[in-house]
Amino acid sequence: MKILVVLRMIPDSAGELELTSDGRGIDREWLDFQLNDFDDHALEEAILLKEAAGATVVAVAIGEGSNRVLQMAVARGADEAIALEAEGDGMIDSRAIAGSIVALARSKAADLVLCGVQSTEDLFGQLVPYAGALLSWPHVSGSSRLGADGSALRVTQERGGGIAATYEIALPAVIGVQTASKAPRYVSGSKLREASKTAIGKAPSEPAGFERSAEIVALRLPGQRGTGENLGDNPENVAERLANILAAKGFAGV
Amino acid sequence: MRIVACTEGSFGKLEPLSLEMITAARAAGTAGDEVVAFFAGQDPEPAIASLGVADRLIAASAGNSQLIAADPYARLLADAVAAEEPGLVLVPYSANGLDVAGDLAARTGWPLVSYVNEIIRDDDRLTVVAQVYGGKILAECSVPLPAILMINPGAFAEAERRDVDASKVQHRDAAAIVAEGKVRLIGVDVPSYDSVDLTTAERIVCVGRGIGDEASIDIARGLADILGAEIAGSRPVVDSGWLPKARQVGKSGQKVKPKLYLALGVSGAPEHLEGMSKSDLIIAVNTDPKAPIFNVAHFGATCDLFDLVANLSERLQAASSR
Ligand SMILES: Cc1cc2nc3c(=O)[nH]c(=O)nc-3n(C[C@H](O)[C@H](O)[C@H](O)COP(=O)(O)OP(=O)(O)OC[C@H]3O[C@@H](n4cnc5c(N)ncnc54)[C@H](O)[C@@H]3O)c2cc1C
Repeated sequence: MKILVVLRMIPDSAGELELTSDGRGIDREWLDFQLNDFDDHALEEAILLKEAAGATVVAVAIGEGSNRVLQMAVARGADEAIALEAEGDGMIDSRAIAGSIVALARSKAADLVLCGVQSTEDLFGQLVPYAGALLSWPHVSGSSRLGADGSALRVTQERGGGIAATYEIALPAVIGVQTASKAPRYVSGSKLREASKTAIGKAPSEPAGFERSAEIVALRLPGQRGTGENLGDNPENVAERLANILAAKGFAGV
Repeated sequence: MRIVACTEGSFGKLEPLSLEMITAARAAGTAGDEVVAFFAGQDPEPAIASLGVADRLIAASAGNSQLIAADPYARLLADAVAAEEPGLVLVPYSANGLDVAGDLAARTGWPLVSYVNEIIRDDDRLTVVAQVYGGKILAECSVPLPAILMINPGAFAEAERRDVDASKVQHRDAAAIVAEGKVRLIGVDVPSYDSVDLTTAERIVCVGRGIGDEASIDIARGLADILGAEIAGSRPVVDSGWLPKARQVGKSGQKVKPKLYLALGVSGAPEHLEGMSKSDLIIAVNTDPKAPIFNVAHFGATCDLFDLVANLSERLQAASSR
């Protein structure tokens, strides 16, 4: 089995996000970029499948810091590393990169494409259904467990309300990973150093071929902070106020 | 214009967000527009008994399957869209919607905007407001029609539940499409509430990734015990195995509405807010003053959660032993 796993580098949303002067993008100059969490789980699931059933794992990364993350992927067990050229330096638009991923899935003769169920930049749609539909392969988003069984895949998908459905899917397929079957592993410094010698391939960007798309008119920060009261940042003051609030509302006997 | 509003349900229940899609469709429409509800599932009865506010209902049912996977759902929807030629298709942001919206966009080539909160109609275009970066940024987008929008749960109110007139229902038998599909349902797991049912809890203390590690959960559990609250977690906390799945709040966990919800180190991503924003009293502690949890909190504090929990636990304990 050949698995293509997609790794997207996205701005750390726990950090401060500021808008560019034209108001259409976020200022990327001082941002930290990190691997999309769900893609990290997709990588782990790919390696787990390789260990359980035997597979070749091709990791493809896009965005700032791709090389670093590809080395990490190789250290964790990926067999091949490819940096995908990005169009411009703005958001990684899954609708726009779907064409490149589909081209790579074909040229690498992949049986399975794995990527995170979503990214925080998926404004114009998610990669899994785009790639699946463009390839005419079945796709399932939101997996929490994957297992290979010959030419079929067993996928457990999280639905709402804690309900989980398990499907059997004929390969080839595209799966959007929500949670890997096991938490992503750590890699040792020595493995990382070893992996830093790996040659990183390059792939050009390919158009997905969509004629019409929505476009961003303006970005803004949600101005209104709700109607809540800010108790500040001094833990003693906050604790005192909260103790009183909880008591007044009958939650604690102060 | 015709607007197709996608709805869903299983186990004899219609998902409440189905009714939100009808409201969203009315918001996007102008007088004279026709709103067609689309349903695919095992049993169409709950849809027929609820979606009367729409002008018509297309009800695809597959008696042979407890739950319809997104793969057959998307194919049934594509057929309906080809027949109805709508100007707009609304899909809820749900596990199913995540697969369905992009699939339809790829097949039709139509524009798609996800995570939409607001829709404004300008003749042959829409202006929509969507959430990106975990709710930290709002994107105003211009969308040429026909188009597809994936709508955030809770962004629109539920339409009134009403029967659909029998003459307005078009039934479709989906059993063959489900049976032939490449995605075959082999099992459904419904959570057992033997240990805990958060949906009936009156007080909840929820820990997010800010709690740092498994051992620290005990600190929050201590405060929960003092308050007589259940302990709960965000997705990353449950994924890490620090709390059982039955204690996850949010889109793929439980939707809760306690009298008290204390969130410690939870950022308040839309998928988390979906599960708790209707709680009576929400108190949030997060060192990031821009964390979206503060948009729904009644009281917020930006101090370190460990300092706060230590202080507050001590105070509450001292008060109760007095
Ligand atoms: C289909 C789908 C379904 C999902 N379902 C769910 C779901 O059911 N439930 C859910 O929760 N998520 C769900 N998510 C995930 C969701 O998008 C977020 O990733 C998740 O809610 C983030 O969890 P968090 O707030 O704990 O972590 P983070 O976003 O990492 O936030 C941690 C927060 O802790 C704060 N912090 C750190 N240290 C401290 C400290 N010492 N003191 C105070 N504050 C601190 C940080 O400022 C940060 O805001 C789903 C996502 C998808 C795509």
